[in-house]
Amino acid sequence: MPFWFARGLRRGVVTTHYPARPDRSAALLPTPPAFRPRQLTRAAADRLVAVCPSGALSRPDDALIFDVGRCTACGRCAEAAPDAVTPSGEFELASTARSALVKKIPIYGETR
Amino acid sequence: MTPAHLPIPPSLPQGAATMDGVVYPLTSLGGLQIRGSGTTRGAVTVRVLAENLEAVTSTLAGTPGLRLADMFAADDSPVTTLRLVWAHDLGYLVTETETETETGFDLEGGGYPPLSSIVPAAFVEECEIYEQFGIRPATGQALDRVMLPPHAAHNLPRLGHRSPQPPGGANAPHTVDGQAFEFPFGPVRQVGVESLYYGLVTSGEEVVDLYLLTWHKHRGVEWRLRGKTPREAAFLVERAEGLSAVAVGWAFSAAVEAALGIEPPPAAARTRAVALELERLYNHAAAMAALCQATGLAVGQAAAEIALERLLRVNAAAFGHRYLFGVVEPGGVSRAPDADALRRELPGACDELRRAAGALLSTNSFVDRLEACGILTGEQARRLGLVGPVARATGLPVDARRAGPYDEVPVTIVTAAAGDVLARFNVMIGEAAESVRLIDAFLDAGTRAGCTRLPVKGDGPGGTGGGSPPCTEKAGGGTGLGWAESPRGEALAWVALDEDGRIARARLRPGSVRNWRGFDDACRSRNVFTDIPIIEASFWLTVAGMAR
Repeated sequence: MPFWFARGLRRGVVTTHYPARPDRSAALLPTPPAFRPRQLTRAAADRLVAVCPSGALSRPDDALIFDVGRCTACGRCAEAAPDAVTPSGEFELASTARSALVKKIPIYGETR
Repeated sequence: MTPAHLPIPPSLPQGAATMDGVVYPLTSLGGLQIRGSGTTRGAVTVRVLAENLEAVTSTLAGTPGLRLADMFAADDSPVTTLRLVWAHDLGYLVTETETETETGFDLEGGGYPPLSSIVPAAFVEECEIYEQFGIRPATGQALDRVMLPPHAAHNLPRLGHRSPQPPGGANAPHTVDGQAFEFPFGPVRQVGVESLYYGLVTSGEEVVDLYLLTWHKHRGVEWRLRGKTPREAAFLVERAEGLSAVAVGWAFSAAVEAALGIEPPPAAARTRAVALELERLYNHAAAMAALCQATGLAVGQAAAEIALERLLRVNAAAFGHRYLFGVVEPGGVSRAPDADALRRELPGACDELRRAAGALLSTNSFVDRLEACGILTGEQARRLGLVGPVARATGLPVDARRAGPYDEVPVTIVTAAAGDVLARFNVMIGEAAESVRLIDAFLDAGTRAGCTRLPVKGDGPGGTGGGSPPCTEKAGGGTGLGWAESPRGEALAWVALDEDGRIARARLRPGSVRNWRGFDDACRSRNVFTDIPIIEASFWLTVAGMAR
């Protein structure tokens, strides 16, 4: 065990300062999408619903419903409509209420 | 051998010229080698009469160098078909048997010969086929429940084309008497490992018997794949066994490519190989950390987990995902590795792993726990069809990395002889070094993102992604076999596509399915029950891959 003790001293602290300071490796993580309502049309929204493999998107009426709890951040939506969807960069998604993970995205693209 | 990712012209099955010696004895038993329509592309296909199944299986089981790699049923024709996949250094052989024949031999009504009595490796698959299709060995031998929960209702989705009877009474009985008692362990276990139940029969310390209940994580992945386009299916396939996302995804994609008669660009195939070797590196680091955790060496565990975290960050820097999801897709790869990041970050992470391994091997209290623990012999590994580091640690040079990009950069297969946990540990260390060499060589040869277009109606970048419009061609159907060497051994996939190119039946066989078959044998080999977590860590299998 003295060997491991000495090894640990030599190795030093390797943990990061997160959450007090951002962890730079977080920039490499895939993150859920962010939507631009003004670029979003109903046709584009329907295309997004079709490409989402985990059922995180739906369009029951004139808004896009995004369930972050079902999103795997696969990036297919951003690939399908790059003008209307970008990676959010947001990975701190925890919530105390399941309903807080479901977001209603207005569709303004067709009213312009 | 023809590379895994290359299509096999229907008129010239893969390895046909060199597999003749294996096929010839089957024709004397009434076997008919299939060429053209109906063949499984990517393998030599032989159709056998159901009444000859036992004789054919006996012949193949006695053929040197041949091992049973998989067995499954499919209702891709009006009747259910049993397929056995045999692996050989020269290629793969598929024997297929329809369950109703002109002679009236009906496997669904009368059952089929108990093949596991000829090839013990077939036992898990016999259980799966009964659960999914309601067909069981004719002798009525007791089966284990491996995939569906025992309380599964009659209408729980299954793969069979007809609704089977509820598979009640499928659990093999076990007896606990004398001085022994049963030590139930799981399914909820320590440190968030997967749900798994051990029935551990012990006389106090020594393991007398051990049986596994692996169905807690069943998600019906193969059932869910039906009707999807290959690209849609790839999303679920790589989640069947998430820690082998690249390997299982590659095997599935290679099967689809073989079925469609296409091939990925060579640079994309090398990209797959880079991702596969990165997957091996982080899995071996994780296994090392798990071994330390199982032996109670917290400082060693921390050292291995530092290396693991660095390797996961290398994955993210190279491919944008810590666990390499979304890299492989049918036809090629979606992303190219960031070669600069890999060359910059990988050597440091691997040095970290190498130093941790060296420190562990110089710690006597750690090595003592690994030596002579969980021993498997080469004969056991061969008989049970084991694969990956578990098989290689018994001296069997079983490795599916023989084709495609590995033709350009041959793999040095790392083996050991002792068959114990220490041998597995040493094999993993050796393989990690070999993976670094391979990644360097593949990067030098050139890697790139890119896909060959799939002739699948409604699929393509416009169907599941963006850019060009979806394909409107019809694929014409077909079946194919694909494989890749995952960190835990050979992963296989067999795919049947309908005329629109959608999946009619997909069979996924991750390496875990094979190697859990050897786990109980390893545990019974003169071990005490505190050795079990050590043996489990050294196998480094997943329950998800088994129960999928």
